[in-house]
Amino acid sequence: MAFFSKFISRVAITALLFLCTTLSSQSVQATATDYDQLFRKAGDLQSSGDLNAALEILRQIPTPAKGEEGDDFVRSRMQMGRIHFSLDEQDKALIVTKEVLALYPDNSEAKNFLASINKQKRPAYMNFFKDAVSFLPSLMKGALMTLLLVLCTMLISPLGGLFIALGRISPFKPLSSVCWFIIWFFRGTPLLLQLFFIYYGLPSLGITMPPMTAAVIGLGINYSAYLGEIIRGAIQSIDHGQMEAAKAIGMTYRQAMRRVIIPQTYKRLMPPVGNEFIALIKDTALVSTIAMVELMRSADQLFNTYFNITALVLAALIYLLLTTIFTFIFEKIEYRAGIYEHR
Amino acid sequence: MNTDNQYLLSLKGITKHFKSLTAVNGVNLDVSSGEKLVIIGPSGSGKSTLLRAINFLEVIDDGHIIFEGKEAGYIRKNGRLHLDKPQVISALRSEIGMVFQHFHLFPHMTVLENVMEGPLTVQKKSREEALEIALAMLAKVGLIDKKGVYPATLSGGQKQRVAIARAIAMKPKLMLFDEPTSALDPELVGEVFETIRSLAVDGMTMIIVTHHMGFARELADRVMFMESGNFLAEGTPQEFFAEGMNNERIRTFLNRIL
Repeated sequence: MAFFSKFISRVAITALLFLCTTLSSQSVQATATDYDQLFRKAGDLQSSGDLNAALEILRQIPTPAKGEEGDDFVRSRMQMGRIHFSLDEQDKALIVTKEVLALYPDNSEAKNFLASINKQKRPAYMNFFKDAVSFLPSLMKGALMTLLLVLCTMLISPLGGLFIALGRISPFKPLSSVCWFIIWFFRGTPLLLQLFFIYYGLPSLGITMPPMTAAVIGLGINYSAYLGEIIRGAIQSIDHGQMEAAKAIGMTYRQAMRRVIIPQTYKRLMPPVGNEFIALIKDTALVSTIAMVELMRSADQLFNTYFNITALVLAALIYLLLTTIFTFIFEKIEYRAGIYEHR
Repeated sequence: MNTDNQYLLSLKGITKHFKSLTAVNGVNLDVSSGEKLVIIGPSGSGKSTLLRAINFLEVIDDGHIIFEGKEAGYIRKNGRLHLDKPQVISALRSEIGMVFQHFHLFPHMTVLENVMEGPLTVQKKSREEALEIALAMLAKVGLIDKKGVYPATLSGGQKQRVAIARAIAMKPKLMLFDEPTSALDPELVGEVFETIRSLAVDGMTMIIVTHHMGFARELADRVMFMESGNFLAEGTPQEFFAEGMNNERIRTFLNRIL
């Protein structure tokens, strides 16, 4: 709204200045000088829309020497100022106005113009907002994709992690070895390499998949491996007496795990799992390398098109927003999961 | 194997090694239905290991466990013992209640849920049935007013009484108590003792491992003194506290305890 009203006032000022120009040009015609031709040429260029050429012509009118009459100089510079102003080049408008004021500090036209430029000059943050508004739609589309990836991985990896953890502590050796291998492999190689392998490598084995599927599989397996170790640690940190007490009332191993052991791990799991999920939000940026247009890729595209850092700043803010929201959610869950420990 | 039906539980030649240490060394024991047996002895004598072996929490290396006249829990293959299938072991355990020194209540469940858990999950009883049983058991241990709270808010004595309620909710035929008062402050021992006594009055068969001589004196039909993995002496409490004094090692032990 404020933005809109400023626009209106600028239109009003431009109209006013135009009126002044026509009035003053009449007076100039009365006292014709050598520069009349230049002014006429510039006026023609201006009305035909070639404003830069007009500026160049006007620039030819020199600064008057000491004692010389300077009306043409003032007139040319003020006209340049107005052209710059109409081109939204407030900084340049300011420079030419100050040129006039340096020689004629009391020139009222220049003084008034200076005031209206200063009033209209857009602060830096306004530029940021203007860019932000134009970038936001495609960034939000990217952010939505990032969120979708994060949520998919958050659904898959705790389940995968639980199976890997239970497999690791299983007394059945082959299963335990397979789970050990999965953890060893996926924790020991870069996620980026795993994504490349799934998206670019598997097609050579005849397995092709869309980037989204490849990204979810890559992130899902990688995070399952990490969560597997965290869940195993949490299970093994539960007092051994709990398993014995569960067995003593006749529970099987499965019943004891499901009813007694695993529910007690939730509170202990939340801090490290929350950590992993925060890392996950940022790691989704890696899938931009396998043709997924998510937040990082969107920001990168905008940055490369407009060479405008605003896109990157906005992307950083959106990532921060996401991590902040999830941090609060995890804190809430942790509190709720540990409510039985409160005295 | 000649099995004898007159005893609820018979142990024959129970042996358990931990690496080079022989924790239980060829123990024989017969427990009649309704009998209250107290096992005393210095720490490291194998009392707890024996008790845990009865509930299959320790896998024995040799011997026979005969429960209700049937050899229970193990399959002999090539002269070595192997624990029976998990379902068989679980079924046996559900008939033998156990109370631990450190209670081991389930901290994420309320008092009521702790007691309902066995009937609900193991015996697959309906929620209403399990609730009815649990309330009755909590009434029995005098903690019905604590049914909605989590174990973290209870005192040690209250925790142990809930643990007893949780065990008896399974309607076991035999109760094992592994030093039930050892982790308690002295002023809390009494309430747990009273709870166990009330079970004894109801006719529950029980084996109690303890350092608390009150159990031996007031509850026991028979007191066993265990040392170095086997029973050194046994008798009625009267015999034990009188004649036991003639045995140098029992006398030393009792003097240290009392």
